[in-house]
Amino acid sequence: MKRLLLAMVKAGSSWTITPLVIGLFFLIYIGIAFFTDETLIALMAFTRKSIILAALLALIPLNSAFRILRETGTYLTIRRVLSGKKADVMPELFDDAVELPASPSITELESRLAAEGYRTRRSENTLAAWRGISAFPVRALFLAGTFCLFTGILVSVTTRTSQRRMVIEGEPLPTPEGTGGTVDRIALANSSGSILSRTLTMEVAPSGSGYGKSVFGLYPPSLYGGFFVYPRYLGIALHFSFFAPDMPSGYETHCTLNTYPPGKEDNAIIPDSPYRIIFSIQEPDAGSDRYTSYMTGNITLRFKLLKGKEILFTGSAPGGGKFVRDGYRLALPDIRRLVVTDFIRDYGVLFIWWSALLFGAAICIWLPIRVFFPRREMVFRYEPDATRACSRAEGGSRKHAGVFHEALDLVDARKTEG
Amino acid sequence: MAIFFKLIPHVLSWVGIVLVLLRGLSGHRSVVTAASMAGFVIGVVGAFILLGSFPGSFSFGIIKSALGVSFLLLWGVSVATIYLSTGRRAAISGGGRFVNTKLGAGVVSGLAGIVAGAVCACRLTGTGGNALAVVLLALAAGALAYALVFAARAVDRLLPASFTVSMSGMLAAVVALLLFSSSSILRLDLFSPLSMKVMKGVHDFVHQFMESILIPDHLFVRPVVWKYIGFLFGKEVGFWGGMVIWFTPAVLIAMAIHFERLPSVAHIRQGAQRRRLLAAAIRVQRFRLVIPVLSLVIFSAAAYQSSFPSVEYWDPKPLPVSASQAGEIVIPKKGDVNLEDGKLHKYLFKQGDSEVRFFVLMTPAGKLTVDLDACAICKPDGYGQAEGSVICYYCKTLIPLETVGRVGGCNPVPVPFTEKADTVVVDGMTLLNSWSATVKATARVKEGGK
Repeated sequence: MKRLLLAMVKAGSSWTITPLVIGLFFLIYIGIAFFTDETLIALMAFTRKSIILAALLALIPLNSAFRILRETGTYLTIRRVLSGKKADVMPELFDDAVELPASPSITELESRLAAEGYRTRRSENTLAAWRGISAFPVRALFLAGTFCLFTGILVSVTTRTSQRRMVIEGEPLPTPEGTGGTVDRIALANSSGSILSRTLTMEVAPSGSGYGKSVFGLYPPSLYGGFFVYPRYLGIALHFSFFAPDMPSGYETHCTLNTYPPGKEDNAIIPDSPYRIIFSIQEPDAGSDRYTSYMTGNITLRFKLLKGKEILFTGSAPGGGKFVRDGYRLALPDIRRLVVTDFIRDYGVLFIWWSALLFGAAICIWLPIRVFFPRREMVFRYEPDATRACSRAEGGSRKHAGVFHEALDLVDARKTEG
Repeated sequence: MAIFFKLIPHVLSWVGIVLVLLRGLSGHRSVVTAASMAGFVIGVVGAFILLGSFPGSFSFGIIKSALGVSFLLLWGVSVATIYLSTGRRAAISGGGRFVNTKLGAGVVSGLAGIVAGAVCACRLTGTGGNALAVVLLALAAGALAYALVFAARAVDRLLPASFTVSMSGMLAAVVALLLFSSSSILRLDLFSPLSMKVMKGVHDFVHQFMESILIPDHLFVRPVVWKYIGFLFGKEVGFWGGMVIWFTPAVLIAMAIHFERLPSVAHIRQGAQRRRLLAAAIRVQRFRLVIPVLSLVIFSAAAYQSSFPSVEYWDPKPLPVSASQAGEIVIPKKGDVNLEDGKLHKYLFKQGDSEVRFFVLMTPAGKLTVDLDACAICKPDGYGQAEGSVICYYCKTLIPLETVGRVGGCNPVPVPFTEKADTVVVDGMTLLNSWSATVKATARVKEGGK
């Protein structure tokens, strides 16, 4: 069983798996690029639908996990060799290994290596010397980051669902699984943050289905009923009534309009009639914030009334106001703030966030270690009539090799003297 | 006479390819000589017949695909080389062993010869081909190949024996020379389409990434931050991204050679001897670096040639046109301008503050097409015409004339029109709407919109 497990770890932790899988996906990407301009979206769709592609992608996090296991094992073995707890020095774990037919004075060698800045440890028949900090923890962070990144991509590509809803002030929160609590307040404000220029908060009252009071911001997005609440765009919810000379009974409706930023047009069609009303929000005065109307809630709508392709007239009216001309009447009793919001179920996002943290930490730690304190190790094990010496370096290998060679020369010279 | 001057880059590339093959496969010189010459003749004749049988983008597409595959192969080999150089005991060096056999040397030399010959033959497009012409061409190609291989062998003999070439270095040089050779032919150029694909790929990737990790849209983000994000959507990213992809294989191969582990000298007890051995190993390593570094220079020349082609584009000044009372723009087929002459004819339509540039073109299939002088992806810098294609000035993508009038990619946006006996009629409002929608969308891309 143990042998089977070891074989599995060995196969799963192969160096070739990750580059081969990435290379294969790259080739598929190139292949798709010949047929469509939406190459990445098409590749994601293929991966979502194809079990084979998903399984191939899953090999990368699996490979990272196996590599963590294997490299942890190697690291621990080297530590045991250096501490003299392992009888066999295992030359395959080192860059360089050599055997000399001599058994010299450990003390002299130890003091020579200490003079070169190496820390040493003596045990019964082993002398270990090292300097610098091992990059293994960084490597583990990097592999964990790779694991999280590709797990995140896999989970995201294969399970993500996204549903767009209009979140309107004063209305229940329209979640994909029914409705949540009432949206008490939507607030847009300027922000002094270094990344975001505005903050958006949506306050939702406790719901009958057991959710407490919630406040949703921009980033990181909050979860509600298992969905990330991802605000996308701003708009308005409009309640209007319209009367025309040839429509004495009039028409009244609620609609949502995608009219931000100011100047952007959206239209409402009056059914069973030739009329269409194009709405837009008045541009604010020069120098003032374009979203002032949304922030304050004082929204004045401009409109164009069209009959067929002909513009009958244009005008403007604030929320609660009305406009009357030539027998036409347009009333805007209520304008509310609206946020076009995506409700996204995707737990891969959490893995991707974690991977960003792990990669960030890995690079911050790796760089100073690699530049200033690269790990260099050597170990000498004495047998009755021979010395076996091994050496490895994670950086500064030429200088380290020089010290190692001189140490070997010293061992050899003592043999000659002896 | 001009054709001989045009052949110079191809001839130089071919000599370089043979020279590198002779060095890299020094154990099989006669096989390399014979296979590369035969390959060159097959390539020239094969491409000549192909171009004669299927004129247009199909034949060029095949040759361009062969070049693309060779570049992909180089990428694969370079990644494997750098991977192996880090001491990983992966069994992926079987390809290197195969190339070192007689059969492998013949296959590699033959394939390099075929592609080089095919690229050369693309200079002869437009020449009518009958059986006699093919025989004469084969003889000429054979004579040229023989003379050039002879020259390459002469140069090879002058080089010192210690000047060795690694397998991956050899591949880098061969591919670099093939791409240099093809970069002087607009329809075979790979670098500009690569830059354009990178621009689109980066745009898609950034967009998907931001959506994936739920980053707020630009209305919430500080303009200065968005400007940095917007940089990722520009053509500069396409160009520099293309450069990275273009040069990385040769850089990886050079790095692999540079970081190759020196031989172990721990068993030698004389310091002087250790140093001598290490110095010799370092000298060999430096010699082997020469070819990958030279390949980088050749790749640079190819990218330069691609970015600044020595081609004059047909780019007429747009003629002003106006719409009738009914909103129709009527362009006569014949008159000052002949719409059916296969050339690009540009027009400028103004209405109020809006203006639209568009062109009319007769495709090689004999069909008229009316298109905006802009595509749905790039900033509307317009198009010029050269060598059987139109080029997007913004991203330098070549659009074969056969595909002008089709939607998608960097193709000019087609506009509906009516063809009458003597005129072409375009609706002014349709034109304005189409331009406004296209330019708005591409301006958003330019500004970094999602």
